[in-house]
Amino acid sequence: MAAITLSKLTKVYATGVTALDGLDLSVADGEFVVLVGPSGCGKTTALRMVAGLERITSGMVRLGGRMVNDVSPRQRDVAMVFQNYALYPHLSVYQNLGFALENKKVERAERDRRIRAAATVLGLGDMLGRKPGQLSGGQRQRVAMGRAIVREPSVFLMDEPLSNLDAKLRVQMRSEVLRVHRSIGAATLYVTHDQTEAMTMGDRVAVLRAGVLHQYDTPRALYERPANVFVATFIGSPAMNLYEAALSSDGAFRGQPTVVLGSQRLDLPAQVAARVAAYQGRKVIVGVRPEDLVAGLTGGGGTAGGGTGLVADVRLVEVLGSEQHIYFSIDATQAAVAEGGAVAAEAAEAGILVASAPNGVARLDPRVGVRVGERITFWLDPARLHFFDPDTGHAITG
Amino acid sequence: MTTSTLTAPDAPAEAAAPESRRERRRRERREDLDAAIPVELYGLKRGTVSLLTACCVLFAIFTLVPVAWIIFNSTKTQANIFGTFGFWFARPFEFFHNFRMLFENVDGDGTYITWFGNTALYALLGGGGATALAALAGYGFAMFRFRGSKVLFYIIIGSLLVPIGAITLPLYLVYAKAHLINSIWGMILPSLVSPVGVYLMRTYIRLSVPRELIDAARIDGAGETRIFFKIALPLMVPGLMTVLLLSVVGVWNNYFLPLIIFSDNNKFPLTVGMGLWSQHATTSGDQNLYPLIVMGGLVTITPLIILFLILQRYWRSGMLLGSIAN
Repeated sequence: MAAITLSKLTKVYATGVTALDGLDLSVADGEFVVLVGPSGCGKTTALRMVAGLERITSGMVRLGGRMVNDVSPRQRDVAMVFQNYALYPHLSVYQNLGFALENKKVERAERDRRIRAAATVLGLGDMLGRKPGQLSGGQRQRVAMGRAIVREPSVFLMDEPLSNLDAKLRVQMRSEVLRVHRSIGAATLYVTHDQTEAMTMGDRVAVLRAGVLHQYDTPRALYERPANVFVATFIGSPAMNLYEAALSSDGAFRGQPTVVLGSQRLDLPAQVAARVAAYQGRKVIVGVRPEDLVAGLTGGGGTAGGGTGLVADVRLVEVLGSEQHIYFSIDATQAAVAEGGAVAAEAAEAGILVASAPNGVARLDPRVGVRVGERITFWLDPARLHFFDPDTGHAITG
Repeated sequence: MTTSTLTAPDAPAEAAAPESRRERRRRERREDLDAAIPVELYGLKRGTVSLLTACCVLFAIFTLVPVAWIIFNSTKTQANIFGTFGFWFARPFEFFHNFRMLFENVDGDGTYITWFGNTALYALLGGGGATALAALAGYGFAMFRFRGSKVLFYIIIGSLLVPIGAITLPLYLVYAKAHLINSIWGMILPSLVSPVGVYLMRTYIRLSVPRELIDAARIDGAGETRIFFKIALPLMVPGLMTVLLLSVVGVWNNYFLPLIIFSDNNKFPLTVGMGLWSQHATTSGDQNLYPLIVMGGLVTITPLIILFLILQRYWRSGMLLGSIAN
C-alpha cells in the first residue's frame, strides 16, 4: 500500500489562479520522491496540501490508505522540514527537537532518549543547549531535520530544505539527507527547483510545470526518455539542444530516412527510422544532449563509423576544469519551450549579432583543443537523438 | 555561489559559554555602535544636521522644564514655591517633610496613599488586562481569517475615531443601569478595551511571528492554545511591552472616566484626588496644600518613569535570531 497517494489533487486560489491541476502521484513506503519544477509550478502547494496547511480545492490526499482531506495537520502525523527551517527561536535545540514529542505526551525518559538519538544521528550532540541564533546555517538545517526525525514519522515532507545553504554545504547535505532517509525509512516527498538535487536524490522524480505533472519516473528514465520538450530541457545541464527539423526519405543512401537540419542531413539507421516512421515527410523537433556530441575532425560532414557528423561553428568556449562547454552555431532554427508547454520556434531576429549567436552547446572533454571561430564536426550516434512532435511537444516514441 | 571560508562550515557561531549580564550589556553597546551609520553617509549637510539637532534640543528642554520645576519645588515650603526662583533650591529643604505629608489625611478627603493604591490597582488590572486582551485579539486578527474578520477589525479601528467626550453621557447612563457607578469595575472594564493595543499587536504579530513557525508547530502536533502560549507569546513580548506601557500610562493618567463615575473619595485615583486638592488649594486659600500637590505630582510620575526604564530593554530587536533563514 502506498504511503502517500494524491488523486486528481487540484488547488485553485480565491484569486482564480490554478496552482495545481489534477495531480496524480503515489509514494511507496520508504520511497524518496522528488517534486521538481520551476518556481510557481505548484510543487510547494502540493506539499502543503499533503501536510494539511493548504485547503484542497478538489481531489484527494490519502496517507497510508486513509483519506485525510479534512484532517487537521496535527492529526495527520506527518513530519515536515521547512525551506527556512522555522525553528522556534526562543527554545533550545533540545526543546526544539522535543516539542512534537511533548505534544504527543511522550514520556520524559523516552523523549530524552529519542532527542539524544536524533542529535547523535545528525551530529548535534553538543549543541543541545544552544538557541537557534547561536547555530550556523548547516546546523540549523540539521535541527530542522532532527525535529522531523525524532517523531519517527511514516511520512516525511521536505520543502526545499537545502536551498538556503551555500553550494558546497548543499552538496554535502544531499548525501546526509539521503543517509537519514535510509535510516528512518519513511516515505519522503521532497520539493526542490534544482534538477541536480532531483536527479541525485530521488528514487522517482515528478516534474511539474504550471500545476501540471509532466512526467513521473526514475531519474534515469527522465534523462533518457523525456516525455516532452519541457522535461527534455529541464532535466540535464546544460540543457538539451532542440532544433526544428524535417524527416525526409530521400537520403543519399538507398532511400534511407534522414533528418534535415538546416542545410545538413543526418542519416538515420533502420531502428531509429522505424521509431519515427509516422512522421516521415513531416516536421519534427529534434533534440540532442550536449554530452552526446563528440568532437571529431575539422572538415566536411558525412557519415562514418556508425555515427553522423554535424558541422558547427564554435562561438564560445567555457572551461569548467572537469569538462568544457562549447557553444556553437549551426544553420538550423532553435526550438524553445513555449508557455503552454508546446514548442515555438525562437523568434528569428534580424542582424549580424543573431547570425553569429550560438544556438547549441556541446559538453566535451577538457583536453580536446577547441578554439573560438573554428569550424568543428561533432559526431553523434543517431540512436541518441530525441524526437518530439512540433505541435504537442510530446516525445515521438513510435 | 558564496565564498568559502577557512573555518569549517559548521563552526559554532558563538562560544557556548553563557555570558554574564555585564558582558551582555557591553556587547549590546558595542553592537549599537557598530550598527550606527555616520551622519555623513546619509548625505546630509552639516548645517541641516545642526539645525535638526537644535530642534531636538529645544523640544527636549520644552518637555523637561516642567519635570525640573516639579523636582526643585518639591523641596520647598508653600511660601518658597511662590516666593523664590522656580528653577533652583531654597531653604528650608522640605523634601522629606513634604513626602511624609503625603501619607497623612490632610483635609479629611482621603489620603494620597489611598489614591495611589487605587491608581496602581486600576492601572495593573486595566492595563494588564488590556494587554492580555490585545494580545489575544491581535493574534486572532493577524493569524486567522474568519467570516467578518475584516469588518470587525475596521470597527475596532473605527472606534479610535470616537472621542471619549462624545460617549460620556451614554456611558454614564449605561453605568447607572448596570450599577457600575462608584464601582471599581466601572473604571477597570472600559480600560480593558484598547483598540490601539489590538491594532499594534496585530501589526506587530504580522511582522514578528512568522507564519511558518505556526505551521511548524501545527505539524508538530500542537493545539492552537498551546501554539499561542508556547510559540507565539514569547515572540510577542516586545510588542506586548509597548502595549502594556501605553495602556498602563493611559489608565494611570485617566482623569475623565473616574471623574464621572466616582463620588466616593476613597475610590478616587490620583488624577481625581489631586484635582480635588488643587481645587481646595485655590478655593479655600492657604492650607499649605501646594507643596503636597507638587510632591504628589512628582510621586505620581515616578512609577511611570521607572516602568519605562524597566521595559526599555524589551525594545531591543533580535528575538527571532536564527529562527528563519535569511
